[in-house]
Amino acid sequence: MQKKRAFQIEAFKHRVVVDPKYAEKTWKVLEHAIHEIYNHNASGLSFEELYRNAYNMVLHKFGEKLYTGLVMTMTTHLKEISQSIESAQGEIFLDELNRKWVDHNKALQMIRDILMYMDRTFIPSNHKTPVHELGLNLWRDVVIHSSKTQARLLDTLLELVLRERNGEVINRGLMRNIIKMLMDLGLPVYQHDFEKHFLDVSANFYCCESQKFIESCDCGDYLKKAERRLNEELERVSHYLDPRSEMKITNVVEKEMIESHMHTLVHMENSGLVSMLVDDKYEDLQRMYNLFRRVPAGLTIVKEVMTSFVRDTGKQLIMDPERLRDPVDFVQRLLDLKDKYDRIITMSFNNDKTFQNALNSSFEYFINLNARSPEFISLFVDDKLRRGLKGVGEEDVEVVLDKVMMLFRYLQEKDVFEKYYKQHLAKRLLSGKTVSDDAERSLIVKLKTECGYQFTSKLEGMFTDMKTSHDTMQGFYAGQGAELGDGPTLSVQVLTTGSWPTQPSPPCNLPTEILGVCDRFRTYYLGTHNGRRLSWQTNMGTADLKATFGKGQKHELNVSTYQMCVLMLFNNVERLTCKEIEQATAIPMSDLRRCLQSLACVKGKNVLRKEPMSKDIAEDDAFFFNDKFTSKFFKVKIGTVVAQRESEPENLETRQRVEEDRKPQIEAAIVRIMKSRRTLDHNNIVAEVTKQLQSRFLPNPVVIKKRIESLIEREFLERDKVDRKLYRYLA
Amino acid sequence: MGVQKDRVKFNVGGRVMETTATTLANAGRNSMFGAMFDDSWNLILQSNKEGERFLDRNPDCFGVLLDLLRTGELHIPANIPEKLLYREALYYGLLDHVRAAKWGPFDGNRLRLSRSLQGQAPGDGTAIRAGPDGGCCVAHGSMVHVYDWMLDEHPPLNLDYQRVNDVGWVDSDNVVIGVSERLGRGDGGMGLFSSHSGELRYKFQVCHENQVKSYTAGALSFSSDYKIFSSCKGRSNEYGVGVWDQVTGKQIDFFYEPLGWSLGDADKLQWLEGSNCLLVATMFPRKDNCYISLLDFREKKMVWCWSDMGAPFAVDEKRVRDAIAMEDNSSICVVNEFEDLGFMDLRSSAATSIRWSSRSRLMKGKMPEEPCYPKLALHGGQLFSSMNDCISVFCGPEWVLTSRLRRSYGGSICDFSIGGDRLFALHSEENVFDIWETPTPPII
Repeated sequence: MQKKRAFQIEAFKHRVVVDPKYAEKTWKVLEHAIHEIYNHNASGLSFEELYRNAYNMVLHKFGEKLYTGLVMTMTTHLKEISQSIESAQGEIFLDELNRKWVDHNKALQMIRDILMYMDRTFIPSNHKTPVHELGLNLWRDVVIHSSKTQARLLDTLLELVLRERNGEVINRGLMRNIIKMLMDLGLPVYQHDFEKHFLDVSANFYCCESQKFIESCDCGDYLKKAERRLNEELERVSHYLDPRSEMKITNVVEKEMIESHMHTLVHMENSGLVSMLVDDKYEDLQRMYNLFRRVPAGLTIVKEVMTSFVRDTGKQLIMDPERLRDPVDFVQRLLDLKDKYDRIITMSFNNDKTFQNALNSSFEYFINLNARSPEFISLFVDDKLRRGLKGVGEEDVEVVLDKVMMLFRYLQEKDVFEKYYKQHLAKRLLSGKTVSDDAERSLIVKLKTECGYQFTSKLEGMFTDMKTSHDTMQGFYAGQGAELGDGPTLSVQVLTTGSWPTQPSPPCNLPTEILGVCDRFRTYYLGTHNGRRLSWQTNMGTADLKATFGKGQKHELNVSTYQMCVLMLFNNVERLTCKEIEQATAIPMSDLRRCLQSLACVKGKNVLRKEPMSKDIAEDDAFFFNDKFTSKFFKVKIGTVVAQRESEPENLETRQRVEEDRKPQIEAAIVRIMKSRRTLDHNNIVAEVTKQLQSRFLPNPVVIKKRIESLIEREFLERDKVDRKLYRYLA
Repeated sequence: MGVQKDRVKFNVGGRVMETTATTLANAGRNSMFGAMFDDSWNLILQSNKEGERFLDRNPDCFGVLLDLLRTGELHIPANIPEKLLYREALYYGLLDHVRAAKWGPFDGNRLRLSRSLQGQAPGDGTAIRAGPDGGCCVAHGSMVHVYDWMLDEHPPLNLDYQRVNDVGWVDSDNVVIGVSERLGRGDGGMGLFSSHSGELRYKFQVCHENQVKSYTAGALSFSSDYKIFSSCKGRSNEYGVGVWDQVTGKQIDFFYEPLGWSLGDADKLQWLEGSNCLLVATMFPRKDNCYISLLDFREKKMVWCWSDMGAPFAVDEKRVRDAIAMEDNSSICVVNEFEDLGFMDLRSSAATSIRWSSRSRLMKGKMPEEPCYPKLALHGGQLFSSMNDCISVFCGPEWVLTSRLRRSYGGSICDFSIGGDRLFALHSEENVFDIWETPTPPII
């Protein structure tokens, strides 16, 4: 019994007994190996043996001993390393640090190789730090955070950066290695031990430098310097800093060099934004844009200054009485101004939408300051389409028209433009002065896409009339040509009433020769078109006359219908007074005066002789056929004295007509709105009407009020009995 | 030496074997061979006069592992215990290689029974869940048993020894379990455990109106954006679905159960990545009726719901026993106790009827003594359905039955799970579970 028990104990004992010194011995072997590795003496070590020893220690539950031993041994070595780094003098400090770091990394890798089994099994299940990470942590705590090294390392790094900023060449490779080391030790180490201080020092540096620059440089130079500094910092980051520092350091430069000085820079006397704009300094402007874009509200300042400058320039242009004399030049200047800024925005401001919008709103602002802008723009088109875009390709025509459309878009009173445009177009069509049908139509299409069908339907009607008239005349001559013989050739343009901006005027007495053909045409026309009325607009036509002067000199005279009537009288009589002419032709006196003026008072075109010889025409003035008339041209065009530009009274008249035309439109808008809303208060009606009509014009609230009152009178609307501000729709 | 410069000779436990440095390089840097052949270790001096390098290891296992490095395939001869091979692989740092070569990518139609494992716990299993790396965990009563991919059991998990309702793997190192609360005590709820050591790492809390309340955690689900969902039953009728952040562990949302509906004691939660919705299904017999709904947490809305409340039951009484959302064709697949599959369209809102596909096997009337209700799972476009002692695999747009997995003993399958390229099936009559694997692809 006793024996048995003893045997049992013996067996148990035997099983658990391990050489008590086994762990210690094995650890000594490994410790020795770690020493040798740190002493660059690893070549004598057997990897397999060390690996197996580490494995055995873990297997026999000595993992803890192995791990603490590792920590202690590594710490001892790192302390030695730390001392040797601390004793490095001056320049070689960083070199020494870098060399030791490389050594440590290599040693760490080898130690990890030996202890791989522990790393794989013991460490995860016991929540220890893996060997590699442990090595880095110890390096951080023992070497980098040693009291003597920490501050010295930071100072050295910052000193090197400063030297580089001051133009010296530094060892970037070394710098990169050291910074890389800090990053390897973990982002917090990099940030706390370097980045934070680096940013503070940089802020100080750039604060001082920018102050110095702003006192000594003009705006362009300053921006160049700021840009260079910014690029230097970007380069620095790419060479030896963590990419995540890029944002932070550029923010520092932006804040110190741009944001704190941006007002000063933009408004700098003689070199700020305004003078850059004036002198088209594309490069400087682009630099400013790119730099200011980086700071909050930077571009807003640039935009505001540009806007106010454009507004001022535009206002001066638009209000300059000199400019108002020549509408074509006036519009051309506007276009040039627009071109100039478009170019700046394209070339320097990166086609920034917000800048384009700002420019547009500035133009809209000042173009509408001058009530005559719509008229002038129409006149510009008239000039272009009359004079022709000669020698200009089709695409260039489009370019000019597009530019005009752009100005058109700025107009608030689009209906005024329409009015003038219609007048000018009518003149062009009737006098056959328009150069290119395609260009005309192209512009109409543009207007149509811009303002809708209604805007251009009448304009298109005018074109249709021209076409139909052409066909009618061909039909007339094809059918009646033979009977007409060699009488005067007649060309009639049948205009639809309402489509054309004509003022009905009583027809004058046509010469008998013409009258015959006219009657024939009337019969022909009414024969083909039932139920129409045809009345002659003798104030608008033209005629080509063949005239024989003294010495048998023959000329062809190109004159207006009125002038023709007058000249034809002289076929039979030698002398006529103004009064007599008026009686004979029934031309209104004001028109007759102008017509006689152009026949008798213009040098080189004076086919009539006047007594007395003066510019003004009195009723009793006598006119003779000027037998001595000479001209070197066979064809002589006798213009009528008309002001191309509207005179003041005419202008007022057009205005009035426009105002008249607006009334029904405003009323229609009011009724439309009230019909759907039934009741609405005054302010809302005004707002809605303005919104509905703004594509054509900006209605005056006073006018709207008057229209409302008129509608109340006519019982379309009524005021609410309780709330007088409220209107009700009466169905 | 030889013609080939990279020839290496090993003496492993007395047997000399030769290979090349190229073959050993397949082991990767993070292995013993990777370290051994690194430049920092001087190779020449490491061998003896014959040019051999001695390794004090098992030569048979070394041979197997060497073949693994040579061919990428693992062949374990019958005379080598698997455990021994794994231990040797761990020594060389080749365990991951072994794991990768042990079985092939999952295919429901090529599954082979790899092993059946007997558990120690008494009583019925509640749930089995496959881990992401081939391990699994099995819930039995108040305990969860964790197995790694080598099917070694780790320390079991428990939360105050309360009844476990569901378990789930957050990742290969962490398992969440949801348990019932103990009446009158604050115990229970949900806990995060280390799958290696079995220690409790974190306990999830539920707050109602800024007050921490005890609760019973039911079915679990996880989303790829690190959220955990669980159906919860609170003491004062705070029923609903709670949401936690896996990273911070904080509760971030709670969807309260609407009146006349069921969320808090759901049988199944399924997070739908594509539509950002959570499927919540409560089935008979936990409740008298079946409730299936889709929750949108961003809009706090039940975007789709279905219930058989008030539906007249036909003679053959088809009751929904499990449901799973088929995200790609926006329908929900359900199964009844006769293993008929049915589909509901998600695109049309409520009051959808189920399209049953009449696949009913001739089973009615001859159910086994201890029937288990069918369960559904989806994996790689294949639909799995367990019924009694058998798992059916359905494929294709029409969901044709293509394979059937059956094993002779252990009784009905009460739960199964797919993950880590393995299928685990837990039986109800005996505490045993099967591991099904896909063999590695053929050589040619």
